[in-house]
Amino acid sequence: MAKAKEGALQLAPTQTGRKDNATRKHRTLWQDGMRRFFRNRLAVFGLAIVVFFLLLAIFANVLAPYPYDEANFLKVRLFPMEDPAHILGTDDVGRDYLSRLIYGARTSMTVGIVVQLIALSIGLPLGGIAGYLGGMYDFAITRLIEVMTAFPGLLFAILIVSTFGGGFWMVILALSITSWVGMARLVRGQVLSIREKEYIEAARALGSRKRDIIFKHIVPNILSPILIAVSFGIPGAIFGEAGLSFLGIGINDPIASWGKMVGISNAYVKVYWHLALFPTLAIALSMLGFSFVGDGLRDALDPKLIE
Amino acid sequence: MGRYIVGRLASLVFVVIAASMITFTIMHAVPGGPFDEEKQPLPPAAKANMMRKYGLDKPMWQQYVNYITHAARLDFGISYQQPTTTVTKLLAERWPTTMQVGILTILFAFGIGITLGVLAAYHQNSWLDNALTFFAMLGITLPNFVLAFLLILFFSVRLDWLPMRGWGDSGCLINIPGQREGFMCADWVMPVFAYALGPMAIIARFTRASVVDAIRSDFVRTAYAKGLGNRVILSRHVLKNALIPIITVAGPMIPDLLTGSIFIESTFAINGIGKFFVTSAFNRDYPMIMAIAFLISGIWGLIYLLTDLVYTWVDPRVRLGAEGSS
Repeated sequence: MAKAKEGALQLAPTQTGRKDNATRKHRTLWQDGMRRFFRNRLAVFGLAIVVFFLLLAIFANVLAPYPYDEANFLKVRLFPMEDPAHILGTDDVGRDYLSRLIYGARTSMTVGIVVQLIALSIGLPLGGIAGYLGGMYDFAITRLIEVMTAFPGLLFAILIVSTFGGGFWMVILALSITSWVGMARLVRGQVLSIREKEYIEAARALGSRKRDIIFKHIVPNILSPILIAVSFGIPGAIFGEAGLSFLGIGINDPIASWGKMVGISNAYVKVYWHLALFPTLAIALSMLGFSFVGDGLRDALDPKLIE
Repeated sequence: MGRYIVGRLASLVFVVIAASMITFTIMHAVPGGPFDEEKQPLPPAAKANMMRKYGLDKPMWQQYVNYITHAARLDFGISYQQPTTTVTKLLAERWPTTMQVGILTILFAFGIGITLGVLAAYHQNSWLDNALTFFAMLGITLPNFVLAFLLILFFSVRLDWLPMRGWGDSGCLINIPGQREGFMCADWVMPVFAYALGPMAIIARFTRASVVDAIRSDFVRTAYAKGLGNRVILSRHVLKNALIPIITVAGPMIPDLLTGSIFIESTFAINGIGKFFVTSAFNRDYPMIMAIAFLISGIWGLIYLLTDLVYTWVDPRVRLGAEGSS
């Protein structure tokens, strides 16, 4: 009993055979989140798909049996396994379809990631300024967001592409211009709600510097919704690129793009079904992978969902 | 109420005008014009004449003012692509088809989506619930043209059950005597299904969540305690309350669905307004671009306003304008 006097705040002795939560090993939100993420089978499956496509994209030049632009006019539109040299057949100018699919992964992944990085680097500061500074800034940025939402993004993308003639970077530019809007809105909402929390008030009352409040208190708290938004935004951008290329106004020809492969095959889908099937499956699978990861992250990182 | 609506309409007009200004500026700012060499090879004098005819030689602000004053009187000009008809006529010709696709899609998506969501919520964690959760994820993730291709590959190429393309022009299933067109066409099935699956999945998922919320709420427990029957509770207490938040999700989908999808229209060769999106931008058909921008932003704003109004009507707790403008 003499020991108890030393500190007034001491843990009550635990009952034997019961683990006390208070003495559990300390884990941060991120460690907790990782644990929950890896216990979610669908999320791990999604992550495996994403890693698979990323590896395809990075090592496309090693993995692909042929260069993506090597045409062979003697072997046009071969069916899968018709020629053992072309496992998945060839397209309408005789390029190896498997190689095109592998290089298509490179296109899709790059577009998805770069567009999200741009969206992040515009949406994060704009949304942050609107949410944190409020007032006039908020008014101006909110109106801008409103107008951009009402503005037909696809029309805009088409206009840009029609002017500058498509191509890889134009597609990225066209998709980026509208993709930051959602991010800005999300960041603004998050900052607005967190700015009013008691711990921010407490930090302010204690005399914390503005920079510390922003980077130590607000940023860590909005990180997980942003991460989730990014992981859903990547398939969105992949879809955007595939869509533009599908319409024939996206990626320019020698470069492989799944969307374009689907679009071109539209004309002869009745006979050469494989030309449509494989890229369609690739788009579907990659988007599912990212979405599973996004769902898993949301379940793992959103404390409100934990019951 | 009246004041609120007027305020909202004013704000709607502001948004539409701002969107039209941005569209106008951007489409003039990008290089290239409607009467460039590669589009319409004309001698310089004729080109200047054309430019003057369409007022393109005037300063830009004057062109905009000119356009907007005409647009205010619902005169959207003459399409440069088809100089014999007005933009209004071109859109009026094709928009009904797009709307038909959209309305069928809305009915299908909302009807099936809400039904599935309610069923899944009533049978929580059953096989039906799990299957629905999985299909909802597929529906939300898959782009509609990818789904369209999978459907075509399976039902048209492999099974040969459904026509691959078209809209209302191939063997209609049911014909009502006395009416010119069929009541229900075989070629409606795939476009509508491919278009509807995404919205349907979102609605089903949201319905499920909100019904589950309602089932667990205190007023439902009270209703059970009063001894009310299962059916009365589910229809009157659970459903009525659960369906309110669905309006916020379903409302904003409507403008998108009504203005159609280029992807669905191009995959299934449907003659809607989707094609104008691409051709008007490529041909620098300024009046058509502007008309489409007006159409989209106008419908978008109107439906948003309607959604808010319906919301306050079904949920008396919500006060108009209480949250300020957001």
